[in-house]
Amino acid sequence: MIKLDNVSKFYKSDVVALRGASVDIRKGEFVFLVGPSGSGKSTFIRLLNKEEVPDEGRIWVAGKDIAQLSPWKVPFLRRNIGCIFQDFKLLPTRTVYENVAFALEVIGRPRHVIQSQVPAILELVGLGKKFKNLPHELSGGEQQRVSIARAFVNRPLILLADEPTGNLDPTTSVGIMRLLDRINRTGTTVVMATHDRSIVDTMRRRVVELDRGTIVRDQTRGVYA
Amino acid sequence: MGGKFGYALRETLQNLRRNLVLTGASMLTVAVSLSLVGAAFLLGYGVDNVTQRWQGGIEFEIFLNENITPEQQARIQRELDASPDVARSQFVSQAEQYELFKVLFAEQEEYIESVTADVLPPSFRVEPSIADADVISALGDRFKGEPGVKDVVFAEETVRTLLRVSGITQSVIFAVAAVLLFAAALLIFNTIRTAIFARRREIEVMKLVGATNWFIRVPFMLEGLLQGLAGASVAFAIVYLVRNAAQDAIRNVPLFDGFVVVTSQVVTTGALTLVLGAAIGAVGAGVAVTKFLDV
Repeated sequence: MIKLDNVSKFYKSDVVALRGASVDIRKGEFVFLVGPSGSGKSTFIRLLNKEEVPDEGRIWVAGKDIAQLSPWKVPFLRRNIGCIFQDFKLLPTRTVYENVAFALEVIGRPRHVIQSQVPAILELVGLGKKFKNLPHELSGGEQQRVSIARAFVNRPLILLADEPTGNLDPTTSVGIMRLLDRINRTGTTVVMATHDRSIVDTMRRRVVELDRGTIVRDQTRGVYA
Repeated sequence: MGGKFGYALRETLQNLRRNLVLTGASMLTVAVSLSLVGAAFLLGYGVDNVTQRWQGGIEFEIFLNENITPEQQARIQRELDASPDVARSQFVSQAEQYELFKVLFAEQEEYIESVTADVLPPSFRVEPSIADADVISALGDRFKGEPGVKDVVFAEETVRTLLRVSGITQSVIFAVAAVLLFAAALLIFNTIRTAIFARRREIEVMKLVGATNWFIRVPFMLEGLLQGLAGASVAFAIVYLVRNAAQDAIRNVPLFDGFVVVTSQVVTTGALTLVLGAAIGAVGAGVAVTKFLDV
């Protein structure tokens, strides 16, 4: 599903974000990217949906060499990839429903599809009753659920999560992880960057550890450190 | 249909409302500049119409009798061709005279209805090869007594002046209009940039969930296009009203009595204005989108 072959990324030619990374992630896997701040976790994630382009090496996502992907095809790559973030990236002037519907609207899904899929996904993430609320009326955990709903409403093959629990308290984080686990069980490949030790230790999934841009550990059913 | 188109339209209208002041400013600039373009065109048309006979160095016109015989006409033609002082001559048939008459009196239908082609005299328009006024008038007078000739009419000094002055005026107006049009494009560019900035969070999300670049672009370009079109419509209205007022004012001034701009010419000018406005708007917006969206 995802394959990195000797990938390097430099910023301003001397700052190393990623050096010689090679990883092979199969369909349906759940992978934690761990490591201290600045170790290259975010760069790893951003390379996968072509927000960044590698300086060396090749990357395959869903069977396609994304370096060869012409710019106009990038949007179609991204329709196969859901993204969630530490800061949620919700639109503050739109309701919960509208935030999720927006993701379908802008890729041209017909209205009847939107009208049936959005309520279903909101039900799945446990926000069936809050669809009329604005993001600021929700707790952090609820906001992250909205953003997960938005990322998953199009049933992507891959879900990328960059520190999704970074702004949440431990109890709320557990709820979010349950949700991600559930999504993973539907067959969606999940790649999640985090430095939340307890989550990684509890879940016991594959762990890829980065240190100053280099992969120092790749362990199935691993722990944080 | 439905979803996609509805989205673009909704976004466009929302943006226009959000940036009312900037939108107004760019619209007005488009309106003023295009009014000037329109006015210059109408002035051009008017001068064209009134001086139609005298363009391209024509200095006098030999009007012939309506019932001139072919032999008489051929004789005059031969004489013109043979004269070393004549650079070029052009025969204007009765039908052509009637077409010209229809243009000059387009707004006075009762004239056109009461006149037919066979009451209008055919003519030769003559362009001499020399500039000396005495020689020209001697040349013209030679034809006055010829059989079949009704009259010889010389271009007046005023007509020549009118042609020259209107040419200069037109150039000046076009230059000013070009500068203003550039300003209008910049203003639209700035409006769109502001709109993009106001919506950068949405655009970020749109890119993340896989909206195509054109999907993101279209509402902004549509916004620019609408601003341009709205400005152009105002310009068209201004030009139309000014033309009516001006025509009433100069109707009874001698020399200008043939100075008319017919409705079809006004419509042509209007269409041109709208196309220019739309183009300015779309180009300004397109540059802004490409530059600031980085899609």
